[in-house]
Amino acid sequence: MNKPIENNKSFLKESFKEGISAHHKKYLGTDVPDNYFSKSKISILDNIKEEVKKEEKPKKQFVFWMQPQFKYIAAASLVFILSLTVWLQSSNKNNFDIPIKLEEFAFSDDILINSLLIEDSEIDAFADATLFNEVLVKAELFEQEIDNVILNSLILEDSLLDNYIDDEFLKTIIL
Amino acid sequence: MSKDAKLVKKLQDPKLKDIAFSELLDIYQERLYWHIRKIVITHENADDVLQNTFIRIYKSIQKFKGKSSLHTWMYRIAYNESIRFLEKNNKKSFDNIDEVSEANLEALFEDAYYDGDQIQRKLHKIISGFNEKQKRVFQMKYFDELSFRQISEVLQISESTLKSTYYSAVKIIEEKILL
Repeated sequence: MNKPIENNKSFLKESFKEGISAHHKKYLGTDVPDNYFSKSKISILDNIKEEVKKEEKPKKQFVFWMQPQFKYIAAASLVFILSLTVWLQSSNKNNFDIPIKLEEFAFSDDILINSLLIEDSEIDAFADATLFNEVLVKAELFEQEIDNVILNSLILEDSLLDNYIDDEFLKTIIL
Repeated sequence: MSKDAKLVKKLQDPKLKDIAFSELLDIYQERLYWHIRKIVITHENADDVLQNTFIRIYKSIQKFKGKSSLHTWMYRIAYNESIRFLEKNNKKSFDNIDEVSEANLEALFEDAYYDGDQIQRKLHKIISGFNEKQKRVFQMKYFDELSFRQISEVLQISESTLKSTYYSAVKIIEEKILL
C-alpha cells in the first residue's frame, strides 16, 4: 500500500478507513500489543470498581472530637490549662520570694494558721518571745540540770569508790 | 437526542452508569489512547494515562453539563492528564523543552511497540521539532481528525489561530518530507 507521505497531495487527506490503530501504524509506525484494547477495558473497569469501593468505604475518623466544633473546644481547653499552669507557677514564685524564717513556723499548727490572720510584726514579736521562753530558757535549765547530774555522779562515784577502797584496804590488811 | 446525549444521560443515572461506561469505553477508548500516545510517546506511559483518564471521566461524569460535546470534554480530560503526566515525569530530568522532545523521540524509537520505517522516523523528527502548540494542533487535526472547533475547545485557542498554526505545520512537513 502506498504511504500517503509518498504522495504529498493525498498525504493529509486520508481518513480512518482501516481504523484508527491501523492509521497510526501506517503513518507513524506506532503499534499496540495484541488484544490490548479488550484487556485494557477490563483493567479500566476493575480499577474503577476499586475506586468506587474506596469511596464507599467510610473514611476512618479517629474520634468525634476531630470535627471542627470539638477541635475549637479542645484548643480552648488546652489554652486555658496552659495559662492556668503558668499563672499558678508565677503566683507560687512570688510566694517564694518572701524570706522564710523556719523558726517562726516550727512551733505549732496554730501559729501557722494564726499567722495568716496576724500582722507580720506581731508574729515576729510573738516568735521572739516564744523563742526566748521556749528555747533559751529551756536550754539554760537543761544545761544546769546536766551540770547537776554530772556533779552528783562525780560525788556519788567518789564516795562509793572511797567506801570500796576503804573496805578492801581493811580486809587486805586484816587478812 | 444525539447518541452522545443518550449515553451521557445513562452515565449520569446511577443504575445504568456501569453499563453505559462499558459502552463509552467501546466507543472512545481507542481514540483517546492514540490521542494520549502521541503526547506521552511510549505505549507504557499511554496505558497509565489512559487508565487515569477513564477513572477521572467516571468520577466527573456527573459534573458534565453538555456545554461542549462529550467527545471534546473527554479529549480535554485526556489532554490534561497527559500534560500532568509529562510535567510529573520530565520536570526533574530536563532543563528545556528541546531536551524533552529529543528524549521523547529517543524513547519512541526504543519503544517495543514502535516499528517505523525511515520516512516515519523522518515525520516524527519533523513533528518533534514543532513547538508544543503546533505539535498538538497538527496531531489532533491530522491524526485524530478533530474539527477546528473541537480542537479550539480542547486547547482553548481561537479557531483562526488554530487554522494558521495547522496549515503552517502542514507546509513545513510537505517541504521537509520531500527533501
